Amino acid sequence: MKLLVCIKQVPDLESRFKPDAAGVWYNETDLAFRMNEYDEYAVEQAVQLREKLGEGTELTVLSIGPDRVVEALKKALAMGCDNAAHIQDPAASGKDPWQIASIIAAYAKDKGFDVIFTGMQSQDRGSAQVGVTIAEQLGLACTTTIVSFDYDNGTITAKRELEGGIKGVVKLKTPALVTCQLGLNVPRYPTLPNIMKAKKKEITAIPVVELLREEALATTASFHPPAKKGGGIVLEGDVSDLVDKVIAILKDKTAVLR
Amino acid sequence: MKTLLIGEYREGKLLESTCELLGFANQLGAETAMLLVGSENQLPVYSGTLYLADVAACGEYNPGLHKKLILEAVQKESPDYIVFLHSSYGWDLAPRVAASLRIAQVSEIVAIVDGGFEVGCCNGKMRRTVKPATAQAVLTIQAGAFPVLQPGGSPEIRKLSATDGGALEFIGYEAAEKKDVDLAKAEVIVSAGRGVGKKDNIPVIAALAKALGGEMGASRPVVDAEWVSHSHQVGTTGQTVSPKLYVACGISGAIQHLAGMKKSDFIIAINKDKDAPIGEIADVLVVADVMQFVPALTARVAR
Amino acid sequence: MFLDLTEEQKLIQDTARDFARVELEPAAAALDQGGDRSPLLANLKKLAELGFMGLNVKGEYGGSETGVVSFSLAVTEIARACASTAVTVSVNNMVAEVIQAVGSEEQRNAYIPKICSGEFSAGGFALTETGAGSDPAGMCTQAVDDGDSWVLNGAKIFITSAPYAGVFVVWAVTDKEAPKGKGISCFLVEAGTKGLIIGKEEKKMGQHASATNEVIFDDCRIPKSALMGKRNDGFRIAAGELAGGRIGIGSLGLGVGLAAMDYATRYVTERSQFGQKLSNFQAIQWMIADAYTELEAARLLLMSAACRKEFGRSFAKEASMAKMFATEAANKACYSALQMLGGYGYTQDFPVERYARDARITSIYEGTNEIQRLIISREILKNIS
Ligand SMILES: Cc1cc2nc3c(=O)[nH]c(=O)nc-3n(C[C@H](O)[C@H](O)[C@H](O)COP(=O)(O)OP(=O)(O)OC[C@H]3O[C@@H](n4cnc5c(N)ncnc54)[C@H](O)[C@@H]3O)c2cc1C
Repeated sequence: MKLLVCIKQVPDLESRFKPDAAGVWYNETDLAFRMNEYDEYAVEQAVQLREKLGEGTELTVLSIGPDRVVEALKKALAMGCDNAAHIQDPAASGKDPWQIASIIAAYAKDKGFDVIFTGMQSQDRGSAQVGVTIAEQLGLACTTTIVSFDYDNGTITAKRELEGGIKGVVKLKTPALVTCQLGLNVPRYPTLPNIMKAKKKEITAIPVVELLREEALATTASFHPPAKKGGGIVLEGDVSDLVDKVIAILKDKTAVLR
Repeated sequence: MKTLLIGEYREGKLLESTCELLGFANQLGAETAMLLVGSENQLPVYSGTLYLADVAACGEYNPGLHKKLILEAVQKESPDYIVFLHSSYGWDLAPRVAASLRIAQVSEIVAIVDGGFEVGCCNGKMRRTVKPATAQAVLTIQAGAFPVLQPGGSPEIRKLSATDGGALEFIGYEAAEKKDVDLAKAEVIVSAGRGVGKKDNIPVIAALAKALGGEMGASRPVVDAEWVSHSHQVGTTGQTVSPKLYVACGISGAIQHLAGMKKSDFIIAINKDKDAPIGEIADVLVVADVMQFVPALTARVAR
Repeated sequence: MFLDLTEEQKLIQDTARDFARVELEPAAAALDQGGDRSPLLANLKKLAELGFMGLNVKGEYGGSETGVVSFSLAVTEIARACASTAVTVSVNNMVAEVIQAVGSEEQRNAYIPKICSGEFSAGGFALTETGAGSDPAGMCTQAVDDGDSWVLNGAKIFITSAPYAGVFVVWAVTDKEAPKGKGISCFLVEAGTKGLIIGKEEKKMGQHASATNEVIFDDCRIPKSALMGKRNDGFRIAAGELAGGRIGIGSLGLGVGLAAMDYATRYVTERSQFGQKLSNFQAIQWMIADAYTELEAARLLLMSAACRKEFGRSFAKEASMAKMFATEAANKACYSALQMLGGYGYTQDFPVERYARDARITSIYEGTNEIQRLIISREILKNIS
C-alpha cells in the first residue's frame, strides 16, 4: 500500500505577528517554525497505519515551502515516515488553498496513494480547505475532522468530531483522504536515534514550477491585528435593568445566547 | 447581489445557527435563497425560496450527494455567494462545492469589510481581508459572528432530489462522553470568588454556569476554603483557560487569577466594587451584589 | 563561521522543549514540594526511551550519537522546566560517558545500555567526600586488593541519584604511599552490592526532586573486574570527565536562568503600578537587557565548549569558562527575575523563587566556580612560562 501525509510548517503561535512589507501576510523574521499541530496528528496516524500494515507499505511525507520546511520533513521521517517530498517553493505562503491543493494533487496524481492524511487546517491560515480540495481534485472519497481512525482491508472507519462533543461515524472505501483533528491520537516524540537515522532517508526535492498549473482564486488584501477592544464598559443601576443589559450584550457580542 | 444559504439539520432538527446565515445575508444586503437537506416539518422562519431535499432520502451527512443538490440549486439561482456556516457540516462540504465550480472559497468570515471579507488567522490573533478573484464564491461564516435573524413568514419550497454520489457511508451518531470538569475545553466558564460569601452560595454560581451551558470555575480563596474542589481552580496555581465567555462572580482580580483567564474572548465581571482590578480586563463590569444579580440573570437565561 | 544549529540539532532541541513543556513543567512545582518521587522516575524512564541518557554515546551501547552540542541543548531545555530532572539527565550522561571512555568492552556492555534504556533510573558519580570536596584528591575511601576481589571502605557524600542509581562509578585510594592524586583508582559498583549502603538524604535548598545522599562502603567486596581503567590512574579520569560534565551543568544553569527571565519578562508586561506597565520603567528594562545579554553570552560559551569537545579538540578551559559564566549569569538572572516580580516573586504562587533556589547550586557542584577560575587561570598561565 502507498500512503501520503501532507504537512505544513507554521510559526510558533505564541509569537507576536507583524505584517510583511506587502501587508498581506506575516513577516517571517524572528519567527520559530514548527510542524502544524493538526499535521502532527496526521503523521502519527499515518505512521500507526504504516506500522500496522508492515512490510510492503510505503509512507511518504510531503511539504511545500522554502528550505526551512526540511526540518519539519525530517521530524516526520524521524517519527516513522519512509521518505519525503519537498516541493520547493519560497513563495508558498502567497498561494491560496486552491493552488496549494492543486500542487499536491498534481504530485499525487499518478502515484496511486491509497490513503492520504492531512491536518484539518493550518494553525496560521486556518482555511480548512486544502485537504478536501485535494480529494475533490483527485476524485477521492474524503471525510474531515476525524478523531478516530481504523483501517481494515480497503475500508476506513472514522469518527468525525461534531459540535457539542457528538461524533459522526463514517465508513469510506480507499483510495480516500482524511483530515485529522485534535483528539485523534497523541503524536509520538521522535526518538533521538531516529532523528539521527532520518538523515539517511531520502528527501526528493521538486521545484514547484513542475507542479503548479493553477492561478489563485482568492487574494489577500491585507493582514492586520483585530480591532482593539475598547476599554470595558461599566454597568450600574437596578438589578433587573442590569440583567436586561447583560442579556442584550450576551446576544450581541457572544455566541452563547441566541 | 444574491446568496444561496446552506442550512443545517442534525439529529432530526433544524439547527438554530441556520438563522445566522440570514443575519449575514442581511448585512450583505443580498437577496437570499436557501437550501436545506431537511424536513418539511421543520422549516426556517423566512419567506424566500427554499430548495428542500428530503433528509430521509439524502441523509444528514452525505457530502457527495449534498454537493450535487447544491450544484443543482446553484445552476438555477446563479448566486454570487454560496454561504455555509463554518461548522463540521460547512467546512466539510464547502470546499467540495467550490472545487466543483472552480471558484474561490473564503473560510470562517468574521466580518464584512470594505473590499472583501475579514477572516481570522494565526489562531485568532490576526485578521486577513480576503477577496475572491472569481465572480462567484463559496463563503463560510464563523459561528456566532453574525446575528441571528428570523424574518418571519414561510418559505416557498422547491423540492430537490438526487440519488447516489455518496463515496462514503454514514453509520450514525455517538453521544458525547460524560466527563468531569474540564475547564480547558469549556466554552463558557462562570467562576466564583470570595465575593460569593459562603459555601452555601456556590450552587447559585453553578446554576448560572449550567444555564449558559458551561462549567464552573473558582478563584483560589474559594478553593482554599474548600467550597469547591481544586479541579475548578483558575489561575497560576490552577488552570489557565481561554473560553469564549468568562463570567467572574465576586472575583476582585488578583494577579494570580488574572494570569489564568485574561485570554478569554469575552469577560463579564460582577463585583460590588467599581474599582476592583478585574475591571481592567473585563469587557463588561456589572457593579452589583453577586447574590442579587446572578440568580436574576440565571432566571432570564434559563427562559 | 556559521553560528547556527543543524536540522538534527534543532529537532533534538524541539523534542526536548516539547517534552519538557508537556511532561516536566506540570510536575515540577509539586516535585519541588517533596514527597512522592515517582513522577520524576517515570519521566526519567520516558527520557531514556527517547534517547536522552546517552546523547554522546555510541549506538552499539544504546546511545543516540547526537554529539555534545545536542547534549547541551537538551539539558538546557529540560532545565527550563525542571532543574532536578535536568541534573539527573546530565549526571547520567556523564556516567555513561565515563564508562564509554575508560571502561572495558565488557564493562561498557554491562552498564551503558542499562543507563541509556532507562532500565537503571540513574547512574551515580561518587567522588566527593566530607573531607574532599574541592580537593577530591584528598579522599580517604580505600580499596584494598584482596586476591580475586577489591574491598572498599569509606564514605562518599552528596551523591546525586544514589537511592535510585543502578550503578556507581566510585573513586577510592589504591596506593596510600603514592604522591597525592597518583594512587586513586576508579571502580564500578552495582546497586545492591553487599556493603554498599545508601545513607541519609540531604535536606537541600533546591533541586528537591533530585536525591543527594551519603554513600557508605562497609567492607564492600567487588570483583576484580570492577576496576575501571588502569590502577592508580583514576584521578586523571575524574578530572577529564568532570570537564565534560561541566558543559552539562552550565547548560542546566542557562536553562534555569532563561526560565526565570522569560517568566519575569512576561510578567512585567502585564503588571501595572503608577498607572503603567512595569515594563515601561527603565530600571526594569535594564534588568531585562543585562540578564538576556549575559545569558546569550553564556549560551555562546557553552556552544563553543561543546563544539570543541564534539570535534575532538581540547575543551577543559572552555568548559570551565562556560560553566562558571553560565551559572553566574543564571544566578543573577534569577535574582533580577525575582526582583521584577516584587513580593509575588517571593511566594510559591509563582515559579521564580523555585528557579532561584534551583539555580543556586549550579555555581557549586561539579567544581565550585572558584575551582573553575583556578582551572582557567592555570590553563592560561601554563602557556606563558
Ligand atoms: C546537590 C548536590 C549534588 C552533588 N552531586 C555530587 C555527585 O553526584 N557526585 C559527587 O562526587 N559530588 C557531588 N556533589 C559535591 C559537590 O561537587 C561539592 O559540594 C563541590 O565540589 C564543593 O565541595 P565542598 O562542598 O566540599 O566545598 P569546599 O571544597 O569545602 O569549598 C568551600 C568553599 O571554599 C572554596 N574553595 C575551596 N578550595 C579553594 C581553593 N583552592 N581556592 C579558592 N577557593 C576554594 C570553594 O570554592 C567554596 O566556596 C554534590 C553537591 C551538591 C550540593
